[in-house]
Amino acid sequence: MAARILLSVKPFAFKKMLRTMSKHGFHVVTPLLESLGMSKRLGTTTVYLKMENSQPTGSFKIRGVGYMCQNIANVSKPAGVICSSGGNAGMATAYAARKLNLPATIVLPSVTPNLVAQKLKDQGATVKVAGKVWDDANAEALRLAETEGLTVIHSFNHPLVWKGHASIVHELKASLPSKPGAIVLTVGGGGLFCGVMEGLDEVGWAGVPVLCMETVGADCFNAAVKAGDLVTLPDITSKATSLGSKTAIQQAFEYSKRSTVISEVVTDLQALEAIELFLDEERVLVEMACGAALAAVYSGVIQRLQEEGRLPKPLGPLVMIVCGGGGINRALLQHLQTVIRK
Amino acid sequence: ETHRAHTKMLRTMSKHGFHVVTPLLESLGMSKRLGTTTVYLKMENSQPTGSFKIRGVGYMCQNIANVSKPAGVICSSGGNAGMATAYAARKLNLPATIVLPSVTPNLVAQKLKDQGATVKVAGKVWDDANAEALRLAETEGLTVIHSFNHPLVWKGHASIVHELKASLPSKPGAIVLTVGGGGLFCGVMEGLDEVGWAGVPVLCMETVGADCFNAAVKAGDLVTLPDITSKATSLGSKTAIQQAFEYSKRSTVISEVVTDLQALEAIELFLDEERVLVEMACGAALAAVYSGVIQRLQEEGRLPKPLGPLVMIVCGGGGINRALLQHLQTVIRK
Repeated sequence: MAARILLSVKPFAFKKMLRTMSKHGFHVVTPLLESLGMSKRLGTTTVYLKMENSQPTGSFKIRGVGYMCQNIANVSKPAGVICSSGGNAGMATAYAARKLNLPATIVLPSVTPNLVAQKLKDQGATVKVAGKVWDDANAEALRLAETEGLTVIHSFNHPLVWKGHASIVHELKASLPSKPGAIVLTVGGGGLFCGVMEGLDEVGWAGVPVLCMETVGADCFNAAVKAGDLVTLPDITSKATSLGSKTAIQQAFEYSKRSTVISEVVTDLQALEAIELFLDEERVLVEMACGAALAAVYSGVIQRLQEEGRLPKPLGPLVMIVCGGGGINRALLQHLQTVIRK
Repeated sequence: ETHRAHTKMLRTMSKHGFHVVTPLLESLGMSKRLGTTTVYLKMENSQPTGSFKIRGVGYMCQNIANVSKPAGVICSSGGNAGMATAYAARKLNLPATIVLPSVTPNLVAQKLKDQGATVKVAGKVWDDANAEALRLAETEGLTVIHSFNHPLVWKGHASIVHELKASLPSKPGAIVLTVGGGGLFCGVMEGLDEVGWAGVPVLCMETVGADCFNAAVKAGDLVTLPDITSKATSLGSKTAIQQAFEYSKRSTVISEVVTDLQALEAIELFLDEERVLVEMACGAALAAVYSGVIQRLQEEGRLPKPLGPLVMIVCGGGGINRALLQHLQTVIRK
């Protein structure tokens, strides 16, 4: 038979993974799809999209959050769970809690779009608003956890969350015939990044380059890499509010020291253009945070890194983690277009 | 038991097709509209090439390649079956020729070429393109890949139901899908019989002006429409297939029609609430919830109340982007 790229999953690995999944989470095995549009732009490199937008609640967050909630429920029956979130981790927490029949409280920073708060209530969660950025909402969540005896579900800074996110890489290992040339993802606080690094170590892909994308004004990870130490941003000024952590997590900073990790930043305009192109070419509407990763191809970051010798040329298959995100619709997209292009 | 069925299915899949097991996701927005019924979306837009077509077409191409090595494959298509054929042929290293009716958006023709296929344009609707494809098959010795009228295509589409059986704790209250020529419908009916769900109601949606199936159901016989006047051009078959008409006689099958405006509103709502952009053809199915067809059928006693879990097959479709959506909005709302 002629050479054929196996995008279907090898049965035995898949079966084992499914058994694990059904005991420890609520996420689905997401499609891994070739993007002809992105592949054309890179020339000889095939680009695969890992469609985390197709998760229950619309983002990859359900992997880590679902895993953590399931583990908590397996150990003891907590009075309830509480989560501070730019929206997506909160949605994942509310969803997992509903599946587990646990009360859920979600604390949101005020920049979160109203539609997100409403969707949280639709999932059965209690919603509280506190502060302007994630750090403020998180402080309130910790306070309420103490006073009301709730279990805190960390949006991104917990080993159980990273372990849950690592499942992405296990799925890639089962789907791809050989290791990727590079993986591209967005960094907010660094939870997805830590999960991916953990997964790469687990499957024997520790040498795979990982390109960490952020936006100007929500670039705490890049700031830490440049400073050689964790940095706390004075404020989040990017429209990619889901990336809104002022400080990267320690574990992410540790991983950033590896030679395989590359940190790059794009503008809000580039992230917006990426959202628009992705909607036209792949027919999926994602948040600005996700656009930051997509811009690595659409705005030529990959190509520039190749020119600079920081990524190989030719480059093996590129895996683009499409993190997704629920805080976007046509009206919000129009608003972003107006504000960013004024 | 679920895992064994799933594993068995995956083994079969990897030998006989190129599709992926698509996500089955709860839609809170749709469930809220129906009240006590949970609505699940079977996200066929997430397939390689953007629609469910790769299931049936991929299965047929794989079978053809397993039996003999054809000179090439040829397909007539409103776009999506052609994309699936081009993709499967590329994976199998077979030359592919796709014949399109002229109503097909340019972006679809370009994407076909990007998949490595040769593209030819013939006629205004699918029937014309198909006649040309059959002619070329004879003169050039190519194997015809049927967009929807072939048992191998139906068998490939039946995999959707096998996935539902592995995913749902109990049988659905109803399944909603769009009917163009009837290939997806035939595959779903075959799948329902295979998994022991033959009693599940199946709601077949079309748009006014691309409603050959509904016309046949009303006439009690196959009907050939004089023309396709709906903007849901992917539904553009003037006659339903015989097998679809046979299945339509079952008491579990319901045929309904919505307007282009309702299909458009459904696309817009789906983009806002589920963040996926689908074709008008897909909007016809989504409108069953968004435009109250389910609710009306319940009032009329044709669907149960309360209704068990509803599975909405989101067929997807590649022939849409922001510019085309704007065009549809202008034309349909003028």
